[in-house]
Amino acid sequence: MNNEMIKYPFTLTIHPFKCFWELKYELNQRMNLIISVVILFSLILTNVLSNQYAGFIVNLYHPEEINSLMEIVYVVVPVLFFCVANWSLTTLMDGEGKFVEIVISTCFALTPLILINFPWIWLSNFISMQEAMFFYLSQSFAVAWFLFLLFIGNMTVHQFTPSKTFATMLLTIAAMGFLAFLCLLFFSLVQQIVGFFSVIYQEIVLRY
Amino acid sequence: MNKLQKFAISLLAVGAVWIAINTGPAKVLASNDPDAYNYSFWEEAVPAPAAYKAVDLVDGESLGIGAFKEPNDFYVSNDHLIYVMDSGNNRVVILDERFHLIRTIDSFIQDGTEDGFSNPQGIFVNDENHVFIADTGNQRVIHLDQDFQLVKIIAEPESELLSANFTFLPVKVVVDNADRVFVMVEGVFDGFMEFSVDGHFTTFIGANRVRVDPIEYLWKRFATREQRSQMVMYVPTEFTGLDIDEKGFLYATNADNSDDVIKKLNARGDDILRREGYFAPRGDVRYTQSGGPSRLIDISVSDDEIYSVLDSKRGRIFTYNGDGHLLYVFGGIGNKLGEFHSPVAIERYDDHFLVLDKELGEITVFIATAYGQMINEAVKSYERGDEEAAAQLFEEVVNLNVNLEFAYTGIGKALLRQGQYEAAMDHFRISLDQNNYSKAYLLYRNQTLRKHFASIMTGIIGIGVLILAAAVYRKLAKRKRGIVIE
Repeated sequence: MNNEMIKYPFTLTIHPFKCFWELKYELNQRMNLIISVVILFSLILTNVLSNQYAGFIVNLYHPEEINSLMEIVYVVVPVLFFCVANWSLTTLMDGEGKFVEIVISTCFALTPLILINFPWIWLSNFISMQEAMFFYLSQSFAVAWFLFLLFIGNMTVHQFTPSKTFATMLLTIAAMGFLAFLCLLFFSLVQQIVGFFSVIYQEIVLRY
Repeated sequence: MNKLQKFAISLLAVGAVWIAINTGPAKVLASNDPDAYNYSFWEEAVPAPAAYKAVDLVDGESLGIGAFKEPNDFYVSNDHLIYVMDSGNNRVVILDERFHLIRTIDSFIQDGTEDGFSNPQGIFVNDENHVFIADTGNQRVIHLDQDFQLVKIIAEPESELLSANFTFLPVKVVVDNADRVFVMVEGVFDGFMEFSVDGHFTTFIGANRVRVDPIEYLWKRFATREQRSQMVMYVPTEFTGLDIDEKGFLYATNADNSDDVIKKLNARGDDILRREGYFAPRGDVRYTQSGGPSRLIDISVSDDEIYSVLDSKRGRIFTYNGDGHLLYVFGGIGNKLGEFHSPVAIERYDDHFLVLDKELGEITVFIATAYGQMINEAVKSYERGDEEAAAQLFEEVVNLNVNLEFAYTGIGKALLRQGQYEAAMDHFRISLDQNNYSKAYLLYRNQTLRKHFASIMTGIIGIGVLILAAAVYRKLAKRKRGIVIE
């Protein structure tokens, strides 16, 4: 069974319609969630490794600006934002998906990004400028594949029609922007409040 | 006793001098001079050793001819005579290369009568020591021969290309090998004015392009005709500096704020400046919002395509090689020797660098340090195609300044030619030169594959055979089992 579960993300990339259905209705939710986290983690690992070890031809990096911790943020935050935005929208739009299901389908859709980019970390060390074209081609292919899976996953989870899924996707992107704006607003307000109280505290301490 | 004391003191003094001499010139260290810097691949300012050191100041007083008054331009001829355009005093001052006065010229003979200059702004001397003066106040360009006898006067041209209210205010002039005269004229946006050998206006060359802000453009679309007439007109920017190299290409600067503030114009007026450095040559790459970008007002090109530009805003001089790599920066606004008040013109020859200050009326003389000489020589050898010598010099340069990234490309190219592909790759990696790295890598890969061809091929065939054998074995096993099941 375990072996089957490990194979599952790979099967899913090739048979998205069948597998997303099984994910939602037939498989153990707990197990799915664990695999989702593993996928998320491997994507972070892929990005970190490719920042450091991808070939010089395709990877010009400033040693002072590499930050592996930020790579975690770059992966986790967009996924989280997407899931929250998507969930908030689809609950209003008669989607059948629960939050957990959205998270699981989103994470599983990330598989092609790992599947294609991970071997390229090693492979990109053996290419020339002309062959770098294949690198960029396969990267775009990975992204296209990921988007396709995301679309199918979302459609299956919410039991939407394709056109409705497309519309929700566009709205989700808008909602993500909105979310980001609210977060920034919230943090800057909190910062100001904290600043305000700390200034008051300083004033009192200096006076008495 | 007294004598003994004196003896001791003199001994001490001699000792001190001896120590001073033996320690010699201070070693050039990257962090020694706060003014010297360069820009890295990441467009960050990184420390660099000083390439030029100011050694002397030359002004009119010290020459005994009265102070220079608002000098605007100067030129160093091929035989190292320095012609200073002393605009405020309406004269040309000629110095030899040791900065001794040779003579001053304030008039010439025209049709038997003596004629003078009126606020002349620009000067140029060609290979035969003919002098060309942009006599701005009199609206003409004067061509004198080597004995300062009048050859011709280029007065206000007549052409259908020029508007009726056109006034000819020449400010800079250069002459190419074919004796065509190129004049930078104040208030002209169509480029430089080109004059034929006999002084007739032929054409404009190398106009700057108009750059339109998209938002402004949108506003204009909605504005009425009356509103539009009130708005700022968009005209191409004027040129601010002009020079010519030995091949006859014009080098020009403008205050355009774009990536092509420096231009190299061919005979058709096309910009053919190579911008293959880490960033386009434009003076300072990093600047504060309030300070704004560099304002380049003069350019001086030497042999082997090395050219320098002068930033009047911060008084800095930026030198680039033919590919557009920034070699070194020096100068600044200030009161110390080697800093200026209002620099207007630069000239470079051999290891010397002269900067003319308009307000102070003085010339600052710079001489290349060991580092500066080395980098100049390296670039020159490289430009001439002598990659071996260039690599050796670059090697020494990077010993003094590891921050000079493009030098590693120079070393790498020589290594590539010698067939040391792996070492070349390492150097290109340091200089962040992906194109050359790719070339070196391809050669390296071919070499390695060729060397290990036998083992690689054996491996591949071996694996193929193994797979085939496994397949055959499985098939046989299956068939056996199949028989059993049946």
